[in-house]
Amino acid sequence: MRRILASCIAIVTLAGCAPGATSGGGSEPQVDDKTLTYLYFTDGPDEQATRSLIADYEKKSGVKVDLQIVPFDNLEQRLQARLSGGNAPDVARLTDISPFRSDLLDLNKFQKAALDDQFIDGADAYTKGPDGELLGVPSDLTMNGPLVNVDQFKKAGVSLPDVTKPWKWDEMVAAAQKVQKANKTQYAIAMDVSGHRFSTMLSQFGTTFLSADGTAVGLDTQKATAAVKRFADLNASGAMPADLWLQAGSKYKAANEIFLAQQTPVYISGNWQVSAFAKDAKFTWAVAPNPCQENCGGFPGGKFMVSFKQSKRQQAAADFIAYMNSKESQERLAKEANFLPTRKDLISSGIDYTQRDADMKVFLADVSRTPAQAFATSYSPAFAATAKATVDELSKVLAKKESPEQAVEAIKAAAEKALKDTK
Amino acid sequence: MSVHPGQARSVQGRIERPRWTSAGGGGVPSVGRVLTYAVLIGLSIVVLAPVVWAVLSSFKTQTELAQRPPAPLPSSLSPANYTEALSSFDFGLYLQNSVIVTVGATLLTVVVNTMCAYGLAKYNFRGRDVLFLIVLGTIMIPLQLIFIPVYQMAAQLGLVNSLWGLIIPPAATPTGVFLLRQYMLGIPDDLIEAARIDGAGEFRIFARIVVPLCGAALAVVTIFSVMWRWNDFLWPLIISQDQAKYTLPVALAQFNSQLSVPFNYILAMSVVSMLPVVVIFLILQRHIVRGIANTGFK
Amino acid sequence: MSSSHRRQPKPWNQRLAPYLFVLPNMLIFGLFVVYPAINNFNISLYDSRNGRDFTYVGGANYQELFGSEEFWSAARATVVFALCFVVLTTVLALALALLLNRRIKGRAFFRTVFFLPVVLSPVVVGLIWGWIFDRGNGLLNTVLGRLGLGQPGWLVDSGLSMAVVIFVGLWMHIGFYILIILAGLQGIDPTFYEAARMDGATSWQQLRKITLPLLRPTTMVVVILSLIAGFQAFDYIWTLTGGGPIGATTLMVQYIYENAFQSPIRYGMAAAASVVLFVTVFALTLLNFLYGRRKEAT
Repeated sequence: MRRILASCIAIVTLAGCAPGATSGGGSEPQVDDKTLTYLYFTDGPDEQATRSLIADYEKKSGVKVDLQIVPFDNLEQRLQARLSGGNAPDVARLTDISPFRSDLLDLNKFQKAALDDQFIDGADAYTKGPDGELLGVPSDLTMNGPLVNVDQFKKAGVSLPDVTKPWKWDEMVAAAQKVQKANKTQYAIAMDVSGHRFSTMLSQFGTTFLSADGTAVGLDTQKATAAVKRFADLNASGAMPADLWLQAGSKYKAANEIFLAQQTPVYISGNWQVSAFAKDAKFTWAVAPNPCQENCGGFPGGKFMVSFKQSKRQQAAADFIAYMNSKESQERLAKEANFLPTRKDLISSGIDYTQRDADMKVFLADVSRTPAQAFATSYSPAFAATAKATVDELSKVLAKKESPEQAVEAIKAAAEKALKDTK
Repeated sequence: MSVHPGQARSVQGRIERPRWTSAGGGGVPSVGRVLTYAVLIGLSIVVLAPVVWAVLSSFKTQTELAQRPPAPLPSSLSPANYTEALSSFDFGLYLQNSVIVTVGATLLTVVVNTMCAYGLAKYNFRGRDVLFLIVLGTIMIPLQLIFIPVYQMAAQLGLVNSLWGLIIPPAATPTGVFLLRQYMLGIPDDLIEAARIDGAGEFRIFARIVVPLCGAALAVVTIFSVMWRWNDFLWPLIISQDQAKYTLPVALAQFNSQLSVPFNYILAMSVVSMLPVVVIFLILQRHIVRGIANTGFK
Repeated sequence: MSSSHRRQPKPWNQRLAPYLFVLPNMLIFGLFVVYPAINNFNISLYDSRNGRDFTYVGGANYQELFGSEEFWSAARATVVFALCFVVLTTVLALALALLLNRRIKGRAFFRTVFFLPVVLSPVVVGLIWGWIFDRGNGLLNTVLGRLGLGQPGWLVDSGLSMAVVIFVGLWMHIGFYILIILAGLQGIDPTFYEAARMDGATSWQQLRKITLPLLRPTTMVVVILSLIAGFQAFDYIWTLTGGGPIGATTLMVQYIYENAFQSPIRYGMAAAASVVLFVTVFALTLLNFLYGRRKEAT
């Protein structure tokens, strides 16, 4: 026993020294070996498009790009470990750059002309460092919105709204329920189990987690309560699948299977479903404009390309990021993978998609209808944590363990905490 | 009480003393036999049905998988999931990496674990109990918890992006040491003492007398090691950074995207990766079933 | 403490041998498990938002942890889960291993069946049982509905979902423990049974007086390993329930994982929680071990 005690003491003594990251804060010695590592996760159709862009880049520049694809769930964990071990990749594709902010390379040092001020304004607050450094480039934009089963709408004799004249929430619900009855589907509307998707509804009801500059809690109690109430009522009445939320726990769960199985005529998701459904859906479907309530439009999201201070090939990394986000590259990627562009020039000129062009145009129309506050919220460092808390709170409401009012208060508190944590 | 040497005899002594009055003579009544089969068959169905369903579902398309309620059978036994998943990357290379890692790590595990277990089970030395408690204590640390410090260590030792990094760090499994140590406690000390008197060296005793007696436990540790290393995901994911160093589970998982997971591929590949472990199990399980007759205790 | 009864000093090779035997294993172990674990304890005294930049906060992480409702909810769920898992695993694995050790037809088949779920990937386990237990469209409720037995919310009701998670854990892991016990059964000297049979002992008496006592070191392996597995359960639960409904099946490792790797990252908090988990399980294991050794000494 004494020996055990002695070893315990030894362990505690050993622990006296501070945990250290192996990389120094100084600038890394640079090498020019014509190679690059690109840490990537794929959404499916973008992989081939990215590979062909890389092949062209290799031919043009002579730089060999090592594409390292990892599953999305493990991306951040892996990147954290690699940064702590001092061997970060040269370039990475991320959805949330905030945990890595202090490690990111200022791209303006290398490619200011090509990258600075070329992308949607809403992203600046998120991608810019305190001294105006460009820490990341928004490489694609996503837009949330409803997808509808056209066959089922036809059978019920319900017409779809025109792209230019979006429906109201009440109209959408009424239409969906009519179609549900006519087709005997299990549900009328399904939404992915995701705080990001619910933010769409919040934004349409006139409020967002965060304020227009993304630095304060922006949730309007009254408007948010109305949205949560509406959501709870739809679930309680069986118009929406409450079980899907409750059974998902705190992990993301898509409702795409319910839509694919034709058990819901309306599915609130986003543009990334377009290429997947083009392949998997065995019925006619279309993208409908987002419903309006107080606001119109959907809710944005997206991915970012970054490089790291640890990188030994900073110039090459920045060059590659500039290439991948040039007008030509982004247009090619968007066309092949049904992505939405982030470049101002491409948004204003528009893109002609090779597949499902009309549907993509609906999403693009909604991008311009989406309020600025939604962009600011989506691009806030506090967004991810608040969205996660929202899923938990909505589950409590659906399980009748909490009232909508309590849920809104809890979401506000979570947003407050997230803002503090990410300061 | 346990199979500790020295006490083995007292067990026997205790058994001899009381005179049991049963007339059975150890025969199994046929009611018991019927019951045994009933229980085993019943449980087998509960255990097997989901596995069979998983295998059948691996032939379904995305659309079929989305069906609600799910159909028990796929519409066709088309191998599309298998061929598409396998052809989308360099299957041969990843298979080769997986085999090298599994075989290498299992050999290393079995050797170092057995030696360590023997040292802990059959010697009385300073620090033995502390070492054993460290072994016990560390079984409970999931990699999830010490992920970053372990990675830093591997990075400092230059094990990143090499298959050695997949073979060496996980080799010293505490579970294996623990299991083998407990098993070795049952080997009588007299056997070892007798060999010493005959002039056998320490390592010779270990290799020629102790190891052959541990067949069943070694088989179990081998099966576990193959299973763990073959299916290992988290560690290879971080150590294998170039795609040329990927193992099968890592290569398969790269399809998992942010917003959708291709369950049809995952099911198919899960079936593929089950097969080698099941084969190893079938081969080795004979050593565990070999029966009471020839374990070598005399 | 147990092995040798001699008093005279041992020859040098016998004194040195144990250290050489344990060295390779302990070296790997020290580098990749013990050192990172100590490091982890160290991190628990710091605040970190990304696992790389640290600020010393002393015991503040622990203070925040013990004041957090989510932590206690996870702790309660973990204790309930682990307790049920250990008891059911030990009893069921023992019973099934004894059945599978008898001379019955199809023994190899049954053993293989029980082992199959062990090699299935956790993602697939979560997926398949999710299809079975889904309230509206699950296979189980479809059957129950036809029989007029209603549609229980297996994964919607807190109590039921905990039961489901325990059941699936048993289903998935029982083959592993059966294998360990089967190996232990092969280590029992058959002469005991012969002697007992000659004395006219019934099979029940043989079980109680020979098998169970002699199996104690193996049973201890099962208890300790299942205890640890119970406290570590995470991956299949994550795919099956995601820790829901409303946190009912969020166990400690998931809590730690979410703190360490999901926004908002609280790396120090995660480290503190894993230290608490470690200390708890270590204390329980130690108790078990000391109890086992007292038994050995009697």
